[in-house]
Parts: sequence; C-alpha cells; structure tokens
Amino acid sequence: MNRQLAHLSDEALVLLAARSEESALAELYDRYGRAAYGLALRVLRDPELAEDAVQEAFLTLWRTAARFVPERSKASTWILTLVHRRAVDAVRREQRRRTDSLERAAEPSVEGVDEDAWLRLQRERVQEALRKLPDAQREALELAYYGGLSQSELAERLGQPLGTIKSRMFGGLSRLRELLGEPRTEVSWTSTS
Amino acid sequence: MDLHELTAAYALDALDADEADAYQEHLGQCEECREELAELSDTAASLAFATVAPVPPARLRAAILDRAVAERSNVVPLRRRRWVTRGFAVATAAAAAVAVALALTVGRSNHQQPVVSMGFTRGANGNATLMVSGLDTAPKGKTYEAWVIPKGKAPRPAGLFEGGKPTTIHLHGVPQKDAVVAVTVEPAGGSPAPTTTPIASSATR
Repeated sequence: MNRQLAHLSDEALVLLAARSEESALAELYDRYGRAAYGLALRVLRDPELAEDAVQEAFLTLWRTAARFVPERSKASTWILTLVHRRAVDAVRREQRRRTDSLERAAEPSVEGVDEDAWLRLQRERVQEALRKLPDAQREALELAYYGGLSQSELAERLGQPLGTIKSRMFGGLSRLRELLGEPRTEVSWTSTS
Repeated sequence: MDLHELTAAYALDALDADEADAYQEHLGQCEECREELAELSDTAASLAFATVAPVPPARLRAAILDRAVAERSNVVPLRRRRWVTRGFAVATAAAAAVAVALALTVGRSNHQQPVVSMGFTRGANGNATLMVSGLDTAPKGKTYEAWVIPKGKAPRPAGLFEGGKPTTIHLHGVPQKDAVVAVTVEPAGGSPAPTTTPIASSATR
C-alpha cells in the first residue's frame, strides 16, 4: 500500500483532497476506513448498508473538502461524524430501530476479529471510560449513538421526560470527555503549497 | 425549546430532522454553541472507537477511489503558467463574442505560481459546485470572478471570491454539456463580462 503521505496531518490531507488529490483521499481512508466501517456496521448491522454508508461519507468528504475549517474541528471527527450521520439516516430510513436497536446498542463480541493493535488500544481506552459513567448516562449515549435513536424516541423507550434524557446525554458526553482527558487540541496545520 | 440544550443531542445525531434544522440555524448565531459542539463532537466521535472494527472488504476502498476519480474527470487541474495555451484553446472553442471578451488579456506575472485546482461537481437541476484552491489572495482592488459560459453564449457572472483559501462557489443554471466554467481576475466589485484571460477553466461534460 502506498503510504507516501503518511507523514502529513489529517488536516493537511483534507486540504490536499480539496485539491482533488486522490492519494490524500486514499490515505485518509487507510487511516479511518476501518474505524468508519466498524461504526457503520455497529449502527446498521448489515455489511452491505455499512459499506454504502462509508462510501457515501468518504465521497461527501471528497466533494466538500474545500469547506472544511481545520481551526474548527479535527478531520477525524469530521470523517466519523459524516459516517455516523449516514448510518443513522439509513437506520431511520429502514426503521430497523423498532425491532433491534437495543440489541444493536449492545457491545458486540470481539471473537474472530483480527484487531489492529492501535484500534484495540483506542477501543479499550474508550470502553474503560464508558464503564465509569453512571449507568443511566451510558445507556443514553449508547442507545443514541449506536442505536440511532432520537432523543424523543429515547424518552419514550425509557419512559423518562425529554429533559431527563437531554441532561443524561449532556452529562454523559461531558463526563466522558473528562475521562478521556481530551483538552481542546490545537490542530497542527501544514501548508502544502 | 431552548436550543442551547440541544448541543449534546446534535453531536450524537439524536435530533429529529426539524430539531436538527432549528439547531443548525441557531449555530450560525451562537459562538458559544459552536465551541461546545466542537468539543462534544470530538467526544462523540471517540465512541466510534469503542466498537470492534472488522477489516472492511477491499472492494470498499477500491469503490470509493474509483468513484472519486470518476467525479474528478469533470475537473481540469491546471498550473497557472500553463493556462495561456489552454485558455486560448477554450476561447477559440467558444463563440466569437466570448472569444473577444476573453481575449482582452491583461499582463500577467511569469514567476512560479502554486498549483491552482478547480473541482467541479454537478448536482440536480443545473446546480453545480465549483471548488477552487491554490489561488493567492486577490491583489488589492481586485477580486476573482467565476463565470459560466454556455456554448455559443456570453459568459454569465457566477460569483466573486477573494482567494487565499479553498473556496466553494455555488453555480446555478449550468448546462449539461459543452459549457465552460472559468475564473478571472476582475476589478473589485466584479465585472458584467470577463475583462481578463481566465486563470483557470473547466469544460463540463
């Protein structure tokens, strides 16, 4: 696999993609394609739909890379947000959530998956932080993010007022942020011209 | 509905479509929410890593790159220095009136310029998006102007921009075939018709 752009930051790669450099798109895929596919697969539970979601997300990146503002967000966040949105849109369209969203939110088994070492470290780190959250907050985050449920659907499903759901999601994300110890990172910016 | 309260749900994609629209509109006016959303979105995205990720099929990578390249075939990336010959080729291919307009060449610098690239993506109903990057900020008193030139017709002004950063211009009424999308340097405020040779252009097909 050609990794001649491996030394560039994610954000510099998006800038190159904005100049229609396909090698930059390939490098971004090599960095985040697997995480993207894992996410789409967890939300959609269907390999074909997951592939569609990942493909559409990366093509959206390709078409709109010029609009990316590196001062405003990390490129990895942008990519995974695109993938997640596609997956959630698809799952709502299919209305699969009515039957199996709870099952989807459950943590899948790692058995039989040849896991990349870096991805495993990341997974263990985030899973450990998730385990430290109060159950109600973790449940709200998992049902929303992996289950694709909207806040109103969550309120209905859990028999709680909408305000309670909102504060669980906010409290859960804020606490998770502290646990992950992520200060707002200054994104390094590499000029390529 | 207090829109500030929707930041976490928006970061998790847990809003219904109408709520998400309202929140997005609010974002345009609320710096505080934009900052909070940037932070919460990073955290939400980290949830993507908490799940087991099997290796995606190799055909997925190939499909993405194939489609990306196919979409780029609308694009003619140019070095500014090479424009002159291509520019005249385009001008001769267009109608006489256009050729006259485009031939009003002003002096141009010959020193090394960065690569200019234009990305052109067509949407539905003649709408299209032009993405331009690699252009320096327009000189003082000047602006960049984008043009849509349907075959045999006069150039239509399609938007002004300053350069200095990648820019996206939304175009309307772009013919399906044989039109040219071009960018020229114009006096500040823009011109009703091009007064300089295009620094970049792309044929639609």
